[in-house]
Amino acid sequence: MQSTWIRILIGIVIGAALGLVYGWVIDPIEYTDVTPGILREDYRADYVLMVAEAFHSEYDSDAAARRLALLGSESPAMIVSATLDYGRINGFTPQETALLQELLSVMQTYSPAAGDTP
Amino acid sequence: MKLDPHNPILHFALALLTGLVLGLVYSWKLSPVTYVDANPSILRADFKDQYRLAIAASYVSTRDINRARARLDLLGDADPVAELSAQAQRMLAAGETFERVRPIAQLATDLQQGFVSIPFTSTPPASVADTPIAETPFIEEMVATETPFTESTPLFEQTPLAPPPDFTATPRPTLTAVPGPQAPFSLVGQDTICDPTLKDGLLQILLMDGRRRQVAGIKIIVTWANGESHFFTGLKPELGNGYADFLMKEGIAYSVRLEQGGSFVPNIATPTCTDANGASYTGGLLLTFQQP
Repeated sequence: MQSTWIRILIGIVIGAALGLVYGWVIDPIEYTDVTPGILREDYRADYVLMVAEAFHSEYDSDAAARRLALLGSESPAMIVSATLDYGRINGFTPQETALLQELLSVMQTYSPAAGDTP
Repeated sequence: MKLDPHNPILHFALALLTGLVLGLVYSWKLSPVTYVDANPSILRADFKDQYRLAIAASYVSTRDINRARARLDLLGDADPVAELSAQAQRMLAAGETFERVRPIAQLATDLQQGFVSIPFTSTPPASVADTPIAETPFIEEMVATETPFTESTPLFEQTPLAPPPDFTATPRPTLTAVPGPQAPFSLVGQDTICDPTLKDGLLQILLMDGRRRQVAGIKIIVTWANGESHFFTGLKPELGNGYADFLMKEGIAYSVRLEQGGSFVPNIATPTCTDANGASYTGGLLLTFQQP
């Protein structure tokens, strides 16, 4: 009787292990409609750089804050600051760094107009 | 065949199956793989639109077409130019202003033609140099063609001149026009198009600069007795960066003008064409405008 239960237990363990391998490795759930909040760090950094480049010609802090808000609930200044840190480590050019610093200085003092939810 | 409920192999198989189901439920439902390092190609469609807008806005600032192209490639679109054009048209259809759509249309156009075009400017360029010379007939013609367009952007900046020492006459502002990106367009061609493969009454408009390069992003206004329609060149880059079209109805007289000034084309209507069998059908028109 005891050996029967041991066989059942071993069967369940092996089956569960196979199920986990299949569900996590062989055929994991595919995400197709993700939000920008989970973009890889380098893509996030490039997106923030795009916002900084656009801001440099538009000088529209509301538009910049709205674009940064796509990346998550952190404040725009924190998002830009994190990108600046990433850029320093990963060799952003001085021009790119200057653009990010320009955006950061504006975002640090940015307060959305009434009704805006960036 | 009867299964023996005490068969140890059956026990093991059932246990294995149960374990497999539990494992799949856990890995797919309870604790699925979590994406933390996603790439832009799997963004939701509306976020992709926002991403394209950011790319286009950045491009307007940097004019770096290769970087813009590389960034668009991240989105994994089969045809990035077609996606940009489609997005521009979706935005216009949703009531967005052309100022917001313009970077997208500009990037689509530049990618299509493969080089960076003249940047759009919201303020008029220095098209006019103030020099102390008398007005020329050319200037008078320019002013005369500007008169009907009350919405047009002023092309001239008038500055009163100080009177020369020997003159007693009252000084007058004088102008010398230099064609620039916003120079007015003149109608250089009005052709009847008899092509049964085209839609009936298709009004095609082509805008070119002084070097015969097509110009995108120019607002065209078509008016008729009971209405008015506004549209822009460059939203169908597959047909040309300076191309725009409009469907005319038979028996209605239309007028065409460009928002930034230039030739006014009144009283145009659908022409009647005849096919190879002698049957009549409604043809189209091609209006070609060019800057000096």
